Amino acid sequence: MKVRVDDRLCQGHAMCTLACPELFELSDEDGHAFVRQADVPPELAEKIEQAVRGCPEGAIQTY
Amino acid sequence: MELQMDRYAAQQNPVDFDHHSADHAANWPSAFAELRANNPRPWSERHGGFWIATKFKDIVSIGQRPDFFSAHKDYDPVTGAIAGGISIPAIPGLRGVPNETASPEWDGVRTFINRRFSPRAVEAFRLKAQQFAAALIDDVIETGRFDIVEDFTNPMPALVTMELFGFPLDEWRAFADPFHKIIYTPRDDPEFPNTVRGLDYFRQRVEEVAALRRIEPRDDLLSHFANGSIDGKPLDGETLYNLAFNILAGGVDTTTALTSNTLIHLSRHPEDRERLRSDRALMPLAREEFVRFFSPIHALARNVVEDVEVDGWSFKKGERVLLAYSSANRDPDVFDDPDRVILDRFPNKHIGFGAGMHRCVGSFLARIMFEAMINEVLDRIPDYQVVEEELVVYPTIGNINGWVHIPATFTPGTKVGARIE
Ligand code: HEM
Ligand code: SF4
Repeated sequence: MKVRVDDRLCQGHAMCTLACPELFELSDEDGHAFVRQADVPPELAEKIEQAVRGCPEGAIQTY
Repeated sequence: MELQMDRYAAQQNPVDFDHHSADHAANWPSAFAELRANNPRPWSERHGGFWIATKFKDIVSIGQRPDFFSAHKDYDPVTGAIAGGISIPAIPGLRGVPNETASPEWDGVRTFINRRFSPRAVEAFRLKAQQFAAALIDDVIETGRFDIVEDFTNPMPALVTMELFGFPLDEWRAFADPFHKIIYTPRDDPEFPNTVRGLDYFRQRVEEVAALRRIEPRDDLLSHFANGSIDGKPLDGETLYNLAFNILAGGVDTTTALTSNTLIHLSRHPEDRERLRSDRALMPLAREEFVRFFSPIHALARNVVEDVEVDGWSFKKGERVLLAYSSANRDPDVFDDPDRVILDRFPNKHIGFGAGMHRCVGSFLARIMFEAMINEVLDRIPDYQVVEEELVVYPTIGNINGWVHIPATFTPGTKVGARIE
């Protein structure tokens, strides 16, 4: 599984970094999220699932 | 005439709703629950007429379509004429920048300020926030009694904001009081025009200190405003004031309301207080849950700039729609058991900081201030108890869900020697 953040939708709610600080990080420029790596290790799959359900803007996609 | 007919034909779901009424302040959770269940897209004839979005999904959809639902406000300082903006009814005398702008103006302003509010940038204020919280508790700790709002949750964000701007700290009261009062004074109160005039002093000080910072810049927000440029142009006086106004207004009373409500909750729910006191790692989730549950910004408006349909809901150009963030945050389609505080609720996709491009720029700073205040109370006066009979809620919570007075008592303690400097 891979994960990405749609920057057109992301507004920096930071729910993703609460769910999975291992993969999400917030930019110093605008506080919006980016992923450190697209590949989701199996042990983080559940946290990523929580991030998807926790993002108010629906900005996180797995593929 | 035809326009009129058209307008009324569209409004099929009438409701007698006024978010500024005393009845709404007392009963908003059940009033919104009733609307969400039976009439989720109602129209109110009050304040010139407006739609009310009560469902989470509708509010996010509208927030994410700023090209059709604009927050832009036209305000003519000479004639006083107002159109648009985020308040129903409109607040006279000013325009929030960036909150009451639209693209492309908004993009320029946010690019100009975002960096100053990033998680890393605001981390610099954590120690100050803790110091101010400690000093304010020092001021009362030997007495065993304080007013949570007057002595603590109102001064503390005001002091941090003074520090952020670069204003002398001892001026906080002259700045914070008008902002606090303008929020809860009903529009028909004879005091309202006086309250609006209280902002004049803020304007004067912004201009004076910005002029000083042009000559001798420092590393503060007013220096950034005075010497920076947006889209290649230095800020004109009006923009500089409106921007400073928006940041002060956006940050002060909201954080006050969140922390005040939380401290009442923890007084009423000793099990939650003890859980949070003994497990501070819970703070980030608890904090988000309190933002959801209390939704300090109760509801804000958008203005329809072109006929549009959202998921079967038709809007006509010129109409206004109130986005009830507080209702979205209790929507049972999104949150299990929405009327209960669950400290470790997660995921928690609340929109207490808004949704779409105008989403709060100051949320990381708000989180720091909130945590500093709650930690200070849990560390130093953990047995505080609010005096229920003496609580005074805002007469209107239509803008912000807050409190005028929260007297509380506690076992006296000793000062730690923290100072406001
Ligand atoms: C718990 C505290 C806070 C809450 C609940 C809150 C809530 C919100 C909400 C709901 C919005 C969206 C407005 C809209 O939809 O039109 C917003 C925007 C904004 N907030 Fe906050 N806020 C808080 C603290 C702060 C702080 C501390 C600051 C600054 C120091 C701040 C500055 C702003 C600004 C400038 C905007 C406008 C952003 C734009 O239009 O792009 N807020 N806030
Ligand atoms: S939760 Fe969603 S909107 Fe918020 S920072 Fe993460 S990806 Fe962006």
